[in-house]
Amino acid sequence: MRRPRAATVRPLLHPRRALAVGAALVLAAGPVALVPARSPAASAPPAAAAPAAGDRGTQLYLEHCASCHGERGQGAQRGPSLVGVGPASVDFQLSTGRMPVSREVQQARRGEPVFSAADISALVDHVASFGGGGPRIPRVAPGHLGSGREIFAANCAPCHGATGAGAALTNGWTAPPLYDSTPVQVAEAVRVGPGLMPVFPSQVLDDRQVDDLAAYVQRLRGERLDRGGNPLGRLGPLAEGLVAWLAALGLLVAAARWLGRRAGE
Amino acid sequence: MSARGPSATERAASRRIVAAFGASAAGAVGFAVTYAQGGNTRWEGACLAVAFAGLAVGLAVWARRLVPVGGYVEEHEGFTPPPTEQAMTAAELTAPDSPVRRRGLLAALGLALTALGAAALFPLRSLLPFDRARPERALKDTPWGPGVRLVDAAGRPVRPQDVPADSMVAVFPEGHVDTGDAPAFAVRLEPRRFSRPPAGGHLDGLVVWSLLCTHAGCPVRTYLKGTARVLCPCHQSSFDLLAGARPVAGPAARALPGLPIEEGPDGFLHATGDFTAPPGAGFWDSP
Amino acid sequence: MITDRLARALDDRLRLSPIARRAMAKVFPDHWSFMLGELALYSFVALLLTGVYLTFFFDASNADRVYHGEYAPLEGRTTSAAYASTVRLSWDVRAGLLIRQTHHWAALVFVAAIVLHLARIFFTGAFRKPRELNFLIGVTMLTLALANGFTGYSLPDDLLSGVGLRILTSVVQSIPLVGAWLAALALGGEFPSDAMIPRMFVTHVLLVPAVLVALISLHLGILVRQKHSQFPGPGRTEHNLVGSRLWPSYTLRSLALFAWLLAVLFALGGLVQINPVWLYGPFEPAQATSPAQPDWYVAWGDGALRLFPSWEFRIAGHLVPAAFFPGVVLGGVTFLALYAWPFAERLRTGDRRQHHLLDRPRDHPVRLGVGVGALTFYAVLTVAAGDDIIARLIRVPVYDLLSLFRVLVFVLPLLAGLVAFLVARALRRGDAAGVGELTRADLRRAAHRSVRPPEADSGESETPARDRPGERIELWPEGDLWRWRYRDEDRQVVFPGSRAVRSEEEAASAARLAYPGVDRVVVPGPPPAPPPGPVRVALRRWGRAAAAGSLLLAALLDRRRDRRRQERERAEQASSPEAADRASTGGGRT
Repeated sequence: MRRPRAATVRPLLHPRRALAVGAALVLAAGPVALVPARSPAASAPPAAAAPAAGDRGTQLYLEHCASCHGERGQGAQRGPSLVGVGPASVDFQLSTGRMPVSREVQQARRGEPVFSAADISALVDHVASFGGGGPRIPRVAPGHLGSGREIFAANCAPCHGATGAGAALTNGWTAPPLYDSTPVQVAEAVRVGPGLMPVFPSQVLDDRQVDDLAAYVQRLRGERLDRGGNPLGRLGPLAEGLVAWLAALGLLVAAARWLGRRAGE
Repeated sequence: MSARGPSATERAASRRIVAAFGASAAGAVGFAVTYAQGGNTRWEGACLAVAFAGLAVGLAVWARRLVPVGGYVEEHEGFTPPPTEQAMTAAELTAPDSPVRRRGLLAALGLALTALGAAALFPLRSLLPFDRARPERALKDTPWGPGVRLVDAAGRPVRPQDVPADSMVAVFPEGHVDTGDAPAFAVRLEPRRFSRPPAGGHLDGLVVWSLLCTHAGCPVRTYLKGTARVLCPCHQSSFDLLAGARPVAGPAARALPGLPIEEGPDGFLHATGDFTAPPGAGFWDSP
Repeated sequence: MITDRLARALDDRLRLSPIARRAMAKVFPDHWSFMLGELALYSFVALLLTGVYLTFFFDASNADRVYHGEYAPLEGRTTSAAYASTVRLSWDVRAGLLIRQTHHWAALVFVAAIVLHLARIFFTGAFRKPRELNFLIGVTMLTLALANGFTGYSLPDDLLSGVGLRILTSVVQSIPLVGAWLAALALGGEFPSDAMIPRMFVTHVLLVPAVLVALISLHLGILVRQKHSQFPGPGRTEHNLVGSRLWPSYTLRSLALFAWLLAVLFALGGLVQINPVWLYGPFEPAQATSPAQPDWYVAWGDGALRLFPSWEFRIAGHLVPAAFFPGVVLGGVTFLALYAWPFAERLRTGDRRQHHLLDRPRDHPVRLGVGVGALTFYAVLTVAAGDDIIARLIRVPVYDLLSLFRVLVFVLPLLAGLVAFLVARALRRGDAAGVGELTRADLRRAAHRSVRPPEADSGESETPARDRPGERIELWPEGDLWRWRYRDEDRQVVFPGSRAVRSEEEAASAARLAYPGVDRVVVPGPPPAPPPGPVRVALRRWGRAAAAGSLLLAALLDRRRDRRRQERERAEQASSPEAADRASTGGGRT
């Protein structure tokens, strides 16, 4: 009777559960592997930059951005204009590590941010100095999960999937998984509409709705340790079918082969 | 062939079987305890799996080690019965007083049963209540019509300025947010980029189309900003909104039906009629 | 002790012992592929057990219901009762999610096991006379399994399955003339109707399962009546069945398989998440999710819908939509072809004989090629249903992948079928034992048209050559009972008869049925069982020599016994003509 006690006594349970969770995460990593670790720097919205940062921002901009976007952000053949994109867009691209890119790409992928939080805020200020306005970096307040779920289902699920696992669009574009996004990044993406993503300005979703949405996306990400076990990357029925064939039928046919043999064989 | 008598191998097999059944009992107890302590899907599943796996292993070892296996032979009678037997059965079936000889009566019986069977099909019609519109009519009609206001998913009426550029707003006929064939979407495009005018017309670039894919009826809810295309997430049909929502890739073959709209005196958007074609998947009577 | 008394009490009232004795002695062939159908059967049992539990908590209604419970994002929201009760079942009912997930996994495994079983039946020709009827029943059960899988998948009224149901409705609508009516009659109105969840529920828990139970009973009844088929081998003929007995060997094995199946299903149900409807959200007509796929067993239809070009036409002003061909025509052709195959093959080969010996897949290159080609075709369609997922995972534009699949869906089945056909021909004509041993020369020979006439006909009905010198039947008394066994000295096989009988005549007639034309002799008794344990290792080492020696001895003894019998027969023949007859059929008494 040692086994069931081991299985149910709480303290003993944790290492095993951690192991199971680890295994689940490793297995789930198929689609998530598209996105490396999330940025720790991104969660702090840089609001007011220090006055001395202006020099730093200029220096960083000329070093990393100007070759494609032009010295005054006017854009060039290799990169679009940054005039009027707004601080939210710059912060989104930099804090998700999508910018800078070393070469021209159709759709930059999420990565480890290159710059620190302070540097990002300096760059945001520098790009804002080109003029043109554009969406500000949103402030995200705690939101309501229920309303967030409904907004997500109506506006985000068609591309990012109801599970937030992401999906393919046309011509090689993808809607990325949302599991690494911080609330601010979610709000920025909603307001800015990076890449092919539609824009949701305040007449479509007001600030409170964006807060709700950000809260639900955080919850979605928190529930990656799904209640029902390994989520199989939340890829849906075909991944489940694959498991049914490979794992279940594999085990069952192996058992049948062993049982169906005669003892001497 | 298994060995007779309690040999060493047999004793080893017995020990393994007892161990397996023991593990099974432990798994069952584990399941019960997990359940009683509040339940946890993973542990419940794992414990039950151990319980049944223990049973399986025990029974399998038992079957393979302690029980005579294989090499028995059983006779297999043929399935062609002897002709005499067949003839006897046939003779009994068709004896002079047998019902099968009464051709006339059988025909009458057949008639009665056929009529009964046909009549029994009639109540099937009740599966579709009589107060409903005929199906092909119902597929063509939607709640849209002249003067019906456009509302968003929350039921709020939509003004033209509520539809910004580079965004997609789902719109519904007022009072019919949950109706299956009514959903539509509004987008704002640049009229000079139209290569083909939208079927339902436009209001300074504001165009409304049915949300349902003309292939299999999924909502074409994926709007690819900048390309002015919408994509169906089910079978990847894409529609070019600048070319009258014509299908440009994937399995869909017909353009999305447009919705004619106007700005009412109240400042809200109103439909001026139904969709330009029945929304959603095609059917036999599609115009 | 108690079981003994209980058995006696039952027997006194029902007189079960003759039936039970025959049933216990029923022989199952010793080959794993005969257990695939059992897997399907036990999955069905698991489905019934878990499904009944689910019905206690599921509220099959489209009516509004407010969800209150553990799942915070849905707290206080109004959804359909079906959806709200499914989320409650998953989050608030203890062990509810385990049972729900196990039920869903069991459904996936059920259909997969049926497909494997069907493949075994198909490739070994087990559908031939007299088993066509059971083949038809089996294919019908496959269609019912698909129907029940789809209705069950749609019951929770979540976004993913709702979209799937909408696609199926569109496919039904596409049928010329009657499509709109069929869809409306099934749903009780236009999609989404208030009647659809209750109707699907009744279909899923009552109608289809009841028909399935009836058909399974019929399937098994016919199986018991017709007995199993078996693979050819020494001592295995069209008139017998070699394997292990139902009691005790197959009873234990079968129970072990059942327990193992439950273990696998519960492990999956507890550890691998399936169909997380709370994440998908309730169905709303204007919402969609991506990627959107159905369960694997209908994914081939979804893949066909994706691959079929945007091609539709009008007949006298009436529309035949694009979904008609991949949805309705492909499905119809698939199952019609399955139903028709046994009869089509009989037409082609003109083979009307009874078959209890199975083909090896290689024995019929055409059948193998067609089967492998068809399986490849449906596999490509199934994979194509996930083209958007694959496109994202391997970072390829989805329309490029679509074009590739449109080519592959024709090329791969043809290639696979052709390869299977050639390999089967090479195996049949050459002397390689398996695919691994094939040489290039074998394959080259297979590519040419056969010069010799095909051997298929002679190979199909492998009746033993009569009067094989090493073959014989031995009968012996054991107390009041009689037993018999088949023995082939050349091939060193000994098969005891599956059951003891009460008289020598009964034993002789069973042996005559199983091995017509083989000589029968009466022996004093069977040789003692081999000593067990470590001795067996040593025994095996001396095996050859000992066997040779004993064979020699046995042959000598036999000759002597035969000579004596013949002498006696000759003596008896002189006295009465009947005795001569008996001697030739039943053997003499020693």
